[in-house]
Amino acid sequence: MATLNKQAQKKIWAFFALGTFVGLLLMPLFLSLPVGASGGAPAPAASTAPPAAQPADAKPVEKSRDIWYKTEGPVIGAPAPKTTDGPKDYPRYNFESRVLLWVANQQHLYYGSFVLAVPIFCMVVEYLGIITKDKALARKYDQLAYDFVKISLTAYSLTAILGGILVFTYLTLYPTFFGYLASIFRPVMHTYALLFVAESGTLYIYYYGWDKMREGFLKWVHVSMSVILNVIGTVLMMLANSWIAFMQSPAGVDADGRYLGNIWHVIHTTLWNPINVHRILGNMAFGGGVVAAYAAYRFLTAKTDEERAHYDWMGYVAMFIGVCFLIPLPFAGYWLMREVYAYRQQMGITLMGGLLAWLFIIQAVMIGALFLTTNYYLWQGLERMRGAERYQKYIKYMVFVLITCFIVWLTPHTMVMTPAELKAMGGQQHPVLGNYGVMSAKNGAINTIITTTVLSFIMYQRGNKVPTVKWAPLGDAFLFGLFTMAYVNIIWLAVYGYYIPANVRVGLSVPQVATTLSCLFIGVTLNSIMMKGAKELGPTVWGQISVRSQYALIMLATAFTWMMGLMGYIRSSVRLFWHVNEIMRDNSPWAFTHTIGFAANMISFNVLFFWMTILFVFWLGSLGVKKAPAAASVGQKVPVPAGSH
Amino acid sequence: MAEQTGQISKGAKIGMAVASLILATAYFTFLDYALMNIQGLDYFYLFRK
Repeated sequence: MATLNKQAQKKIWAFFALGTFVGLLLMPLFLSLPVGASGGAPAPAASTAPPAAQPADAKPVEKSRDIWYKTEGPVIGAPAPKTTDGPKDYPRYNFESRVLLWVANQQHLYYGSFVLAVPIFCMVVEYLGIITKDKALARKYDQLAYDFVKISLTAYSLTAILGGILVFTYLTLYPTFFGYLASIFRPVMHTYALLFVAESGTLYIYYYGWDKMREGFLKWVHVSMSVILNVIGTVLMMLANSWIAFMQSPAGVDADGRYLGNIWHVIHTTLWNPINVHRILGNMAFGGGVVAAYAAYRFLTAKTDEERAHYDWMGYVAMFIGVCFLIPLPFAGYWLMREVYAYRQQMGITLMGGLLAWLFIIQAVMIGALFLTTNYYLWQGLERMRGAERYQKYIKYMVFVLITCFIVWLTPHTMVMTPAELKAMGGQQHPVLGNYGVMSAKNGAINTIITTTVLSFIMYQRGNKVPTVKWAPLGDAFLFGLFTMAYVNIIWLAVYGYYIPANVRVGLSVPQVATTLSCLFIGVTLNSIMMKGAKELGPTVWGQISVRSQYALIMLATAFTWMMGLMGYIRSSVRLFWHVNEIMRDNSPWAFTHTIGFAANMISFNVLFFWMTILFVFWLGSLGVKKAPAAASVGQKVPVPAGSH
Repeated sequence: MAEQTGQISKGAKIGMAVASLILATAYFTFLDYALMNIQGLDYFYLFRK
């Protein structure tokens, strides 16, 4: 009975602690309401009593109109400050403050993305370990999930440190702007800080409780904690996104930048959700890339075959997850761009057809490089499988198709030229190559690249297997017909686009994408069904893969990193000379758009800096290794993601 | 089973491949037409001119 009482007491204290914690989390939101914000006395704006009932000295409430939602609200905040170039608003070193802020922001973002993405992988893999009936496989999944979280733990501390550096940089170099932003987002920033504490606590309990919560019901509790961890992480990211979305497309304030008391309007700006979706997908692709690079690093430094086998498999799984999120990423990007155009058409034009358009050409090159590298890794992966040699002969044709499409994909519409070059070429566009610089050709090229990547994956799935289902010849014939006609259709639509007016041509991109997706979904699903119970020509020997493949994984991760830096710069610089678009003007001496060369150098510096520090993190992680990874002897079967071979 | 796969004659394989090509052509033509139609655009614009 005494024990029961003690347990009951513990429960009461646990609920009390939880309630206090939730209360603390919600307090900033309460304070943001007009009643709470006014310091206890009912705010005049909140009162519905007739004017006669108010004290005689009460001032009338000024109301104003929301710049985006067009609703009326009580003016609570001060107007956006009008800054001047001087030490008051822009204190500085003898250096461009914006560059310092750029580095601090980008590094924090890289690490933040990484530590938000990896626990999601961890959750999925740990869950797979629980539901897998084969105990040996379950242990391997569990070890992989543990490896994932171990990497993110060291990076987590660095993320917090970089966050601190970022805030100090804002406070010391842009105090007026940051003060204004903090005055608007005060409750959000408090909630953010408290959530960060919750995230840290959950992460540490999750990591250090791994061994103690290994079996039975406790294991379910453990995996549930990973769900909580990821929910907190995602909310954190969305709150941080609300600040940048507000800077680009402000809402919840009037035309003077005065806060109107509705915190939800300030958070839920028109670009908030597209940015949220784009960032979640981007973080996952980036996280997959970095974990794959970590696995590649461990593979390259492995001393035993067992280690090599384990890290080869880990790299493959991480790459697979990363590419799964890379494929829908362009669609999320398309949605974001559409919303940008809907918000301010001029902003969209600046991005894709004006000042920043050349950066999109660089983006095209990066996307092409990503797909080429993915294909290369898959082809190298065929080396793991006995019997996969029969597919080697097709690779050269695929290389030809990919390179040809890549060249078309990166052909610019117009070139930057000297007058002499312009005269020699006879105009802005080259008489032959200029034809490939239009969207008709580019859409055809990128869809062909993605379809070829899908084909490479199907080839990899088949590697060392021969289908044994009765309808295999029919399935093979169907796959042949599907892919052949998909290529024909994509190229046909690309050519057709040259002969019809622009307003009809734009619509052709939709069936082109649908053709590619048909190959992805129908082709991979059909092939996976065909491969069930297939006869194996030989084992998959994990660890038996070329060193080049591991460098391909590192290349993939580097390309992700560079592209993130590039796209972040594009999204940020489209505000031009505004801190907060059309609300608060940037009057510092650096309110201009940098040259493409300078921006590219800055992005490269950020990428190099990130990779140097993350290598340090990897090295730190390797110091803590006390035991060898779960045995996965050479030639032994290890689990692979669904849909794989 | 693999042996069974090998027992299928070359003619049958060609027949299945041709049938599959025809089926895929029909599918993609329908896809092109339907998706253009949804957008309020005429897929056969050039041929109707």
